[in-house]
Amino acid sequence: MTRRRMFLRMITASLLRRRSRMLIALLSIGIGATILAGLVTIYYDVPRQMGAQLRSYGANMILLPEGEEKLDTERLEQALAQIPAEELVGATPYRYVRLDMTSRQQSFTSAGTDFEQVQKTSPYFSVEGRYPESTREVLVGKEIAETIGVRVGSTMELTYQPAAAFASGSAAEDRVPGATLSGSAEGWSGGVVYVTAALDGDARIAQITIDASTQTEEYGGRADEDEAFAAQFIGKSLPLTLGTDVDALSGATVTSAAVVEALNTARAEAAPVQPRTLNFNVVGILVTGGEEEGYVFMSTEDLVSLTGENKLDVAELSVLANADQLEAYAAAITGAEIGVTPRLVKRVTRSEASVLEKLTALVFLVTAVVLLLTMICVSTTMMAVVSERRREIGLRKALGASDNSIRAEFLGEGMFLGALGGVMGAVLGFVFAQVVSVNVFGSSITFQPLLLPITVIVSMIIAALSCLLPIKRAVAIDPALVLKGE
Amino acid sequence: MSLLELKNVSKIYGELKALDNVNIHVDQGEWVAIMGPSGSGKSTMMNIIGCMDKPTKGEVLLDGVDISKESSKHLTDIRRDKIGLVFQQFHMVNYLTAVENVMVSQYYHSLPDEKEALEALGRVGLRERARHLPSQLSGGEQQRVCVARALINHPELILADEPTGNLDEANENIVLDLFAQLHKEGTTLIVVTHDPEVAEAAQRTIVLEHGRVAREVINENFGK
Ligand SMILES: Nc1ncnc2c1ncn2[C@@H]1O[C@H](COP(=O)(O)OP(=O)(O)O)[C@@H](O)[C@H]1O
Ligand SMILES: [Mg+2]
Repeated sequence: MTRRRMFLRMITASLLRRRSRMLIALLSIGIGATILAGLVTIYYDVPRQMGAQLRSYGANMILLPEGEEKLDTERLEQALAQIPAEELVGATPYRYVRLDMTSRQQSFTSAGTDFEQVQKTSPYFSVEGRYPESTREVLVGKEIAETIGVRVGSTMELTYQPAAAFASGSAAEDRVPGATLSGSAEGWSGGVVYVTAALDGDARIAQITIDASTQTEEYGGRADEDEAFAAQFIGKSLPLTLGTDVDALSGATVTSAAVVEALNTARAEAAPVQPRTLNFNVVGILVTGGEEEGYVFMSTEDLVSLTGENKLDVAELSVLANADQLEAYAAAITGAEIGVTPRLVKRVTRSEASVLEKLTALVFLVTAVVLLLTMICVSTTMMAVVSERRREIGLRKALGASDNSIRAEFLGEGMFLGALGGVMGAVLGFVFAQVVSVNVFGSSITFQPLLLPITVIVSMIIAALSCLLPIKRAVAIDPALVLKGE
Repeated sequence: MSLLELKNVSKIYGELKALDNVNIHVDQGEWVAIMGPSGSGKSTMMNIIGCMDKPTKGEVLLDGVDISKESSKHLTDIRRDKIGLVFQQFHMVNYLTAVENVMVSQYYHSLPDEKEALEALGRVGLRERARHLPSQLSGGEQQRVCVARALINHPELILADEPTGNLDEANENIVLDLFAQLHKEGTTLIVVTHDPEVAEAAQRTIVLEHGRVAREVINENFGK
């Protein structure tokens, strides 16, 4: 038989045949390890748990357009691509427009949004009735609902007055935003030049198509192919003056003048954009206690139908990340140069961070205290074990045990207990953490495989440390005194 | 040839001289009994010879080495290698079986060997009780296990401090027979006893009184 086997045989015999005392030591290690494993599990899980919990306080990042131009779906998508999908709880686009309720001679700010996302980024919204699920359904803020006296089940006729309606109403510029203008003018030797231009919301030319097929091929006929010539028109407001606002195509002044004239005439004759009206069913009243109660919410599709343009004012994001990560994502969005400015909702991210910090500090503190108590408890038990086994230790020494043998035996027993208590603690600790998690956070946790070795190793270290003082006592035992035949 | 020699050995506890200028010598293979009233210093002397204690004064030569000057670590080595101990209280590790108790001695000495340990138990007539815990053995049986444990590593010197003090007649005889066998095999034996009958089994009796050697008696009847 090898010495190691005898060593193990002695240790296991000591543990198994002296059960009651060892059970106390095992119990204290086991309980310590349980709390340790439980707290470590919670420690690792809390940020996740709390993060998800805290997300119910609303968006923690806001995306705004950089500069004048409004956001659109495409740029929003590009910005969202900078955030890992699994961390993005929700992203809600908002477009704010004033709509009229002609029947009541009221107008209020309406928001076009995505209700599925709203429920993710603003989980604290409370709705009497339900969220709109299809088009032509609106969610009315409580304040508005009370003012105009609508309830769930009422209908509302909402009208979008293009910008002109709000302004003086006569200026030509006010009549044309978002319109597509088509016009024609006589060019070289009686040939007609056709021009179509799409205007943006600010009545500037966004796109232009020129048909100069009637013009002389090498001269004016180039007007519909020359990209540089066409490019001059983009971003300009009508009317235009040739030579000042745009330069003529070289060798084709007459044709160029015809293009400008066609555009100016078309603008002058443009009919004001017609107000658009849609009928909505009120399916829910929104109660938030905040300014949202002063809005009417509808689907983005409905708002696009009313305004004719698919633009966004802002997007609210709820991201499952700590302040540092959020900063990093914001930097990535800025760095992507897509004309989107990210803003962190500091109030939310900061309080999240501080809550988590305090919580982890607390868990850390409790863990340290538990470990210390465990150590004291195990140490006391081992101390009792040593004095209980004084005669045995004296005998072993008399039989030739060196100090190191005595140390090894007690350390061996201690670490064996530590390992056993550690396994026990890892299992019970997980159960403990699970119970805490379910009761406090209302969600379950997954078992971390690493928890087992960590708990076992820490328990063994704790047990070993607890044995140091008792071992010192054991080594100091004088065999002569202990074995005195009295 | 002398195995053990005590030269002017004293052990002083404060005012009390537990051993007072003791001179003794024991030959290799000799069987010596130590007698004396309680408190006369017998155990103190055995502890010193057994390398568990050091004298206040004097020299203790074991196999020519002065153990009175050795470090306690070295003393442990010497004790392990040369000495087998038997105590009045049958000290056993109470959670180990008889055979495991014997193997503990092997473990500290060299290598545990269960077969050899079982043979040693056979010698003391306890082959059948090898798997019993001390609590399941009688006092006499426990002391026999202790003898088996003392002889397992073939020590040069066996020290027994009142080995039969707590034994009945039958067990006392078994233990004495074992000593006689060991003596025949050449083991040196020093046996402390109160019992004149046990002393008579030895070749020579040293009588201690008040920490001094009062007299020495050669046993004329030895071996008869
Ligand atoms: N550690 C000690 N401290 C003080 N006195 C001791 C110690 N050990 C033994 N003595 C004393 O030394 C004397 C001899 O003791 P001991 O050798 O045990 O006697 P014996 O074994 O012959 O009965 C006794 O008076 C005892 O009280
Ligand atoms: Mg004594």
